[in-house]
Amino acid sequence: MKNNFLNSLLAAVLAVLAANHADAADINLLNVSYDPTREFYKEYNPVFAKYWKAKTGDNVTVNQSHGGGGKQARAVLEGLEADVVTLALAYDVDQLHQKRKLIPENWQSLLPNNSSPYTSTIVFLVRKGNPLGIKDWNDIVKPNVSIVTPNPKTSGGARWNFLAAWGYALKHNNNDEAAAKVFVTQLFKNAAVLDTGARGATTSFVEREIGDVLITWENEAYLVLREFGADKYEIITPSLSILAEPPVAVVEDVARKHGTTEVATEYLKYLYSKEGQDLIGKHFYRPTDPEISAKYAKQFKSLQLIKIDQFGGWNEAQKKFFADDGVFDEIYAPGK
Amino acid sequence: MKHFKRTALASVINLALLGIPDAQAADSQALERRIHELESRLSKMDQLEARLEKLDKAELLAVKNETATVSPEVAKLKTKVNTLERKLEVQDEVTTGALKKLPIFDAGDNGFRITSADKKNQLRIGATIQTDYRNFLGNTAAWNPSTSVNGPIGPDSIFLRQARIVLEGYILKDIYFKIMPDFAQTSNTANMLPDAYVDFAYATQASLLVGKYKPSIGLERLQGDANTAFLERAFPTNLAPNRDMGIQVHGGFGMPGYKAETAPGPIDNKNAFTYQVGITDGTGDSGNPYGNGAQTSSSTGFATANNKEFDGRIFALPFQHSGYDWLEGFGIGLAGSFSSPDNLVINAQRTPLGQSQFIDYTQLNSTTQTGTRVITANGSSNRIYPQAYWYKGPFGVMGEYVASTQTLSAAGTGTSKVNNITQTNTAAQAQVSYVITGEDNTFEGVKPIRNFDPFKGSWGALQLAARWSELNVDSDTFKMIDPTKSARKATAGTVGANWFLNKNTLIRLDYEYVSFEGGAGTKTGSGGSTTYNIANRPSEQVLSTRFQLAF
Repeated sequence: MKNNFLNSLLAAVLAVLAANHADAADINLLNVSYDPTREFYKEYNPVFAKYWKAKTGDNVTVNQSHGGGGKQARAVLEGLEADVVTLALAYDVDQLHQKRKLIPENWQSLLPNNSSPYTSTIVFLVRKGNPLGIKDWNDIVKPNVSIVTPNPKTSGGARWNFLAAWGYALKHNNNDEAAAKVFVTQLFKNAAVLDTGARGATTSFVEREIGDVLITWENEAYLVLREFGADKYEIITPSLSILAEPPVAVVEDVARKHGTTEVATEYLKYLYSKEGQDLIGKHFYRPTDPEISAKYAKQFKSLQLIKIDQFGGWNEAQKKFFADDGVFDEIYAPGK
Repeated sequence: MKHFKRTALASVINLALLGIPDAQAADSQALERRIHELESRLSKMDQLEARLEKLDKAELLAVKNETATVSPEVAKLKTKVNTLERKLEVQDEVTTGALKKLPIFDAGDNGFRITSADKKNQLRIGATIQTDYRNFLGNTAAWNPSTSVNGPIGPDSIFLRQARIVLEGYILKDIYFKIMPDFAQTSNTANMLPDAYVDFAYATQASLLVGKYKPSIGLERLQGDANTAFLERAFPTNLAPNRDMGIQVHGGFGMPGYKAETAPGPIDNKNAFTYQVGITDGTGDSGNPYGNGAQTSSSTGFATANNKEFDGRIFALPFQHSGYDWLEGFGIGLAGSFSSPDNLVINAQRTPLGQSQFIDYTQLNSTTQTGTRVITANGSSNRIYPQAYWYKGPFGVMGEYVASTQTLSAAGTGTSKVNNITQTNTAAQAQVSYVITGEDNTFEGVKPIRNFDPFKGSWGALQLAARWSELNVDSDTFKMIDPTKSARKATAGTVGANWFLNKNTLIRLDYEYVSFEGGAGTKTGSGGSTTYNIANRPSEQVLSTRFQLAF
């Protein structure tokens, strides 16, 4: 009798332990990203969740937070507990190491292509028929052209915009920085409104019908065509633009605290998979996988792309152009 | 539509024709003519209707075209309005973002607080002001220990007991701090800065407190000044340090299934199981660093001896969340300390409410001590403090006992027949309190349900309390000190009423009767041939009031 009872008790305990072990874990991740990636990650997250469920049996829910890239980076620095960041530029991600050591110094070497699973560039969006005949950067600095671009102080995309314009001006002025400064001064004189992020700028241009030209991410421009109709807008690809390499990183300090390091890392790695890259192409980002890139090559126009290295890397570019009292502060005075 | 009208009209005419009798056939030709006329008119109407429809469409188109063709001025204005609107929206977004980063200022009955936008940093500014009036009843019969004759020991006086500013808060969420100067303490040896500590509370299970604080030993001592049931604490409190400099590790644990709460500072009254372990310079009975009897220099604040005191306390609320409602507020614990002080000056013992001195280690027994001898705590010392409380609704009881053993030595110029003794003093107190207005009685005080506002018929809360307290001095002590100047036993009975006008304002009234054994009498002879005729010191009666503001 006593033995039977003990055996039953043991079996019950083992059964409970086994049941507990078999329970799928419910995992929550927070992806803090920049403005125009909303739609892409909205589609990517369930795809990854399905993959992770099949691989581990665990349920993963990825929550998204979007805003101007610079603002988003500051939010993470100020305590927003992001498991991963997928921001607009490497400088913002790097701040997570420089200011709070939330990520390791070598974060960019932890994933392929300097931790950039996709690239993009900066193009113009104009109203159908291109009434002002905009073709290149020099057209949008002309008087009486109203442009819409986000604020480089808060938006990573805006910083790409600025550097693309600067690069164009240098090229056409024998690398004369003074001339480039005059060029971007005129550009920002034409800015009707400086939104805090790329999505805000799209709203100004599309919904509020402000401005003649929207300077924006290539993927954002294609998204506008898809969402609002190719009969209303046109994409103008300038002769020269910049190769934007939005990076991704696991916020190791937070992920370790949340116990999500493994799934967060895999979440980012899966961006490089065929399935991830295909979604990237589908959302008008430029895939880094050669095979997938070839598949989507037709949807992107070819143009000359300068790289951030031309500016000495992001730290140098940030210091020179966008830090307090940098070139942008010098050339732009609100309300003037 | 047109066909329907024509068919309907023809049907009416045909029906009319069917109803015409043969006799009237002569008129049929006239009727046929009329039919033709009518058909002709119908045809004209159809044509007119078609023309009208055409006209309608044209007009609509014209109106539409008129609407679509907006003048350039209007279009320009529209763009301008849109741009201005959007700029305002962006400005709002920027302003809102900036406002979110601004610290939050909060002023209320918890003091004044400044909290950072992310709530990780906070500074609270509070204050405590206590103004007392102490009246010795029957002054003429009272005993004046300084003159050893009957006479007033008062004087009766109005005085500032505490005038404290409390600066406390936390930095980076987990690092708590408290700085509390007391401006009522005016002499250079007084405890002008009772609390100044930092508490690294990274985990509820183990926090590190460093600075000047109340060593976690006596229960009533650990109760906040604003929360005690009486104006002054009872005898057991005086057998442990008041404040000390040191380091303490403390932590708390919740009942199974309940999460522990962060409880910064040397007292944790939130969690079911708590502990504190500390190491301090050692300031002796009722001691304070820098001042009266401290093993620290009153001028420099540095320790005057290498020896340190170790203290520890465990306390449990064993029925917390048990469902036994009547036992949820029961707490029990044990505290203790040990050290080996090096010629630590010993503080006098005083009555609780009157604060009159009744054990004086500077008044020596002349049969054993000659010359200028100084009695100090010098050698092994330990204390043990069992303690408990129980609060249920408006009712509360609290009690603690202490046995304090220390080695006393005589040093200085002159000679001693008795150089060392081991003294074990004991003290105990038991108190009961009841809030007659029905509010909850707690270790953290009483919060009135309705604040004092007589015109609205609310009077605040009223708590009544009674306490018995006793101190027994080891008889060996009198081999070194004068038995006619220090009592061997004091028993105090105290009753009090606390009128809580609101959460922050309190008016207290306490009456205390203290009886003594020994501590008075006469001596004859001198030196080794002195004879002591010991008498009981006259009892002391004190009536004291306090007006207190604490937030």
